[in-house]
Amino acid sequence: MYRIFPYITLFAVTILVQVFLFDNLSISIYFAPMIYLAFLLLLPLDTPHIGLLAAGLVTGWTMDYTMGTDGLNVLATLPVAFLRPWIIGFFYTREDPREGGIPSAARFGQVKFIRYLIVCVLLHHVLFFSFEALSWVHAARTLLRIVVSGVASVYFIWLTARLFTLKLTVRV
Amino acid sequence: MYKLIEFIRSTYVVVLFVLLEAITIGHYARSTHHTRARLLAKATQVVGAGHQALAGVRSYFRLERENRELLEYAASLQERLACYEVLHDDASAQTVPLVRAAADSTAADGADSLRTHRVDSVGPTLGDKQYRTLTAAVISNTINKSENFLVLNRGIRDDVHREMAVLSTNGAIVGYVVDCTERYAIVLSILSSSFRTSGKLSDSGYFGQIYWDGADPHTVLLGDLSKYADPQPGQEVVTTGSLFFPDGIAIGRVLDARLDETGTTYTARVELAARLSGLSHVVLVENRDIDEIRQLLKSDKIHP
Repeated sequence: MYRIFPYITLFAVTILVQVFLFDNLSISIYFAPMIYLAFLLLLPLDTPHIGLLAAGLVTGWTMDYTMGTDGLNVLATLPVAFLRPWIIGFFYTREDPREGGIPSAARFGQVKFIRYLIVCVLLHHVLFFSFEALSWVHAARTLLRIVVSGVASVYFIWLTARLFTLKLTVRV
Repeated sequence: MYKLIEFIRSTYVVVLFVLLEAITIGHYARSTHHTRARLLAKATQVVGAGHQALAGVRSYFRLERENRELLEYAASLQERLACYEVLHDDASAQTVPLVRAAADSTAADGADSLRTHRVDSVGPTLGDKQYRTLTAAVISNTINKSENFLVLNRGIRDDVHREMAVLSTNGAIVGYVVDCTERYAIVLSILSSSFRTSGKLSDSGYFGQIYWDGADPHTVLLGDLSKYADPQPGQEVVTTGSLFFPDGIAIGRVLDARLDETGTTYTARVELAARLSGLSHVVLVENRDIDEIRQLLKSDKIHP
């Protein structure tokens, strides 16, 4: 197992930033960025499927525990973790992802990487906000929350990915 | 047999995923704001210190505004107190003449005796008051969820317990305590889909149900208001005396109102008097009589 230490740091930092900064922002009801997804989205390409699922469970559970949401985060992160290999396969067909490396702009190309982030974040946010609302009465509002928070999440995760790969030599 | 093992090997991640997801959805479906508050209370014991440190930093930058608001509130209280002092002075100056007047039983002194009576009726409640208040700092607060909680830096050791009312420093409604740990209290904010209380138009007394529709962190709705109430923009909405909240606590002002399709009830949008997004200190209010009232409600004579 290589780069285990950077990943532990990534996990700790994103969770701390999420809990102490983003979960405490009282700016707008539409603005709830989820930076903690960065850990899940930046795990190495050759992470075993079961490992991804475990990572999704752990991040989701940690966030549920600190946000007091009783399963809402696990509910949204598990499908992202489960579907990640197919989403990556869809965007990244150049070679076998099994050979390792980190999902990054340097490896996928800027546009493809951002698309990958958008798809994953969208999947997560759609599940998160629709299950949180639990009704179609405020569908328009839920949609707006997904879009506004989604844009913010993608931006912050992209920023995190840049900072994360800055120090590491990315195997392209 | 080998094929079966091979099949399980190739699909166990899928099975595991479906299983975990189903368990999670089941768990989430059963959760209520009470279980969420419980979870948050547990988490606060771990991350509370961090929140508190950050809240300290945040509150430093809000000090000026907060000071101004407190001064304004102190001034308004001073004003109200002055009214009572005038009444009290009048009353003590006129006690002797009033006794005589009562003996004469002249109708002219009716108004004065009424005032004296009012001051007297306030006196005993001040000595043995029904409500106990204490202040607390907000260490964590959200407005961007469908169920929002505040975490306060007071807990069981400060004699905080469940169902205490929480007011802003300018005396407006914020929420009520749903759970406590030794050092922290979790408050269900008025900005929660499961928050319900009753409110009334302060001048006409028509009452209805206060709830949040999740649209705007500055407004709540006052529903089930009688069609005769005719709420006007700017009218003040206050609490009716309930188990948790004292009577007459400010909720906000009516922004606009519309009749429902059936034409029998109004739903008014109420602009909150408390600014939920910028709270750093709150006032906790305990109803000392709540246990006695509870006991009475549970009594066999009501539910034979």
